[in-house]
Amino acid sequence: MSGIVRGDQVAKDVLLTPDVCIVGSGPGGAVMASRLAEAGAQVVVLEEGGYHLKDEFDMQEATAYPRLYQDRGNRATADLSIAVLQGRAVGGGTVVNWTTSFRTPDDVLAFWREKEGAALTPEALRPHFEEIERRLGIQKVDLEDVNANNRALYEGCRKLGWAVDTTSRNVRGCLRTGYCGMGCPVDAKQSAALTYLPDAVARGATVYANCRVRRIEWTGKRATAVVGEVLLPGTQEQTGRTVRVEPRVVVVCAGALNSPALLLRSGLAQGPVGKKTWLHPTVAMIAMYRDPIEGFYGAPQSVASHHFAHRGADAGFFLEAAPVHPMLSGIALPGFGASVTGQMGLLPHVSVSIALMIDGFGDGEEGGTVTLRPDGGPRLDYPQGARQFECFRASMEALARVHLANGALRVTSLHVPPVTIVSEHDLPALRAAPLGPNRCGVFTAHQMGGCRMGSDPARSVVNPELRHHFVENLWVADGSVFPTGLGVNPMESIYGVSSWAAQHVRSALAKA
Amino acid sequence: METRRGFLKKTIGGAALLLAAGAVPLALRKTQLRTPKRPLRFFTEAEYSVFAAVADRVLARGAAQVPRELERVLASRAPAPSPAELDVAGKADAFLAPIDAASAKELKQLLALFDNALFSLLTGGPPRPFTRMTAAEQDAHLERWATSRMAVRRTGFQALKRLSAAVYYGSPETYASVGYPGPPEELVRTVRAARARP
Repeated sequence: MSGIVRGDQVAKDVLLTPDVCIVGSGPGGAVMASRLAEAGAQVVVLEEGGYHLKDEFDMQEATAYPRLYQDRGNRATADLSIAVLQGRAVGGGTVVNWTTSFRTPDDVLAFWREKEGAALTPEALRPHFEEIERRLGIQKVDLEDVNANNRALYEGCRKLGWAVDTTSRNVRGCLRTGYCGMGCPVDAKQSAALTYLPDAVARGATVYANCRVRRIEWTGKRATAVVGEVLLPGTQEQTGRTVRVEPRVVVVCAGALNSPALLLRSGLAQGPVGKKTWLHPTVAMIAMYRDPIEGFYGAPQSVASHHFAHRGADAGFFLEAAPVHPMLSGIALPGFGASVTGQMGLLPHVSVSIALMIDGFGDGEEGGTVTLRPDGGPRLDYPQGARQFECFRASMEALARVHLANGALRVTSLHVPPVTIVSEHDLPALRAAPLGPNRCGVFTAHQMGGCRMGSDPARSVVNPELRHHFVENLWVADGSVFPTGLGVNPMESIYGVSSWAAQHVRSALAKA
Repeated sequence: METRRGFLKKTIGGAALLLAAGAVPLALRKTQLRTPKRPLRFFTEAEYSVFAAVADRVLARGAAQVPRELERVLASRAPAPSPAELDVAGKADAFLAPIDAASAKELKQLLALFDNALFSLLTGGPPRPFTRMTAAEQDAHLERWATSRMAVRRTGFQALKRLSAAVYYGSPETYASVGYPGPPEELVRTVRAARARP
């Protein structure tokens, strides 16, 4: 059987014995499946999320977040201080991300090689990135196609003399409706569900949607089985059916947070599993303009500034835009009553810019930790300390200055209560406002680490070829293997690193 | 919107508060009850009533501080439906129905503590359940939770606030009141049809 199988199509317990079982169908799992199927391997992919196509994408937040995001759009750190936007579908985060595509920066790869003994080089990754960019239609955005929300960031940076540029996006025939985050309604976004997964299926791979992997069974140095429970599409309740896969090789591509949780559930706790989880912790500023911005329409992200990516001993950060839809905006606005409803009433005049902290490069920086919740899902803790606070303050000030330079009527923070800035004179108040859990809104859309790669089994979970240090036929190939944050949006790096790792999995299959 | 387990128990203070609140069942604390519009799947009637009262204040209109240049724009917006008209608490009930047992228990404890008259008194508020306070008292109560030095109360405030706002602003009935024309359905229909042709 090949194709994409939904939970309601699994009428009885299933036992499969393919060459490879891949857990997760996001960018890591999809490209891995495609590469291995192309090499002639029998591939089975298990995916917890549902299989959804464009006709189901109704561009409504209330439909999309529960259906297409982890924990029904509800994922967060245990203390709710950082809201976690993370996809959950056939195609993973690529179904709902905002299409921003960057190759892994060379200096990040150098840091990984130097500090962790990683093997990745720009030269080794280049052919993978080139192929991925062709397959996904990744192209640089023309400035004339940038919406007013992104344009505000662009012009503000230009006026301040800060480095800024348009980004590259993985789209073909994009209408720039603005609904990337709710599933592209016209299949313009080249998600994994439209590219590498169909490629894999065309070569005989089978994808089980609505199949939540409970555990990997292993004995000695061998993984022997992957056990998944079948869920009903829609309600996501267990049907009582199981899918049991007994492959020669297991590749875990469940994403940061879920990959370490799966290893922990399976008793594979050797090394720093779940440790050093990176989030690019993100703060936002809300600028109000006299003329309408309509940040709910247009490509949600098309401009980025890396002007502050390198700040010596302090954490760097980069600036991007975020779409301005009502539900996400209502959740993000920090206070209550008129301060929320008044700002919401002016939604078309709002521009939202975000600053993403580049975490993982500080001496002794620990980042977040994934442990298990009572129901077996990932519990995430990410303490905020002096390093975050310094970065958040510098970030918010930079964003405020961007919008003041661009002529915003005012800029407000997501502090509780918010700080309002109408001129540079108000910036000291922004710097003085208290930070800490739930004192200021913090988000993450980029989850990385938790199964970091490296040469030292005490410091890493997988070796430089992404093979588990202790279980010889187990691999991890997703954002969880990154030893640090990236400083850029992670999708293309995940594709690239997994595509690169596929050659090592292939040679292991040849030997096995 | 979040209901992560562990957030109330994170601090020793949180654990003590839970003990205090848990000593008396919510039903005995004279919550001002509201009648649900549909059968409840998650909340008790008392919990539904507390959540509905919170949503009323979280989403209340009032004199907003907006830039003078935009006051007219704000005044010209279509009237917003009230949280009660939209049954925000009922929709939250449906959303919460499938959450796991541990999260459910914590959220229920949070609602009990939030409406606890004794706890209000001990934290500088009036000796009344939240549901029996005046609107001004309720706003002060929310403010104390939102800006509390106790992390667990700030977390609790955010949980209730985000869920209220998510349910309300995710409802298409509120779009006109925020000036959001909604998704470009016609355009998408046309393009889907055009691209479906061979």
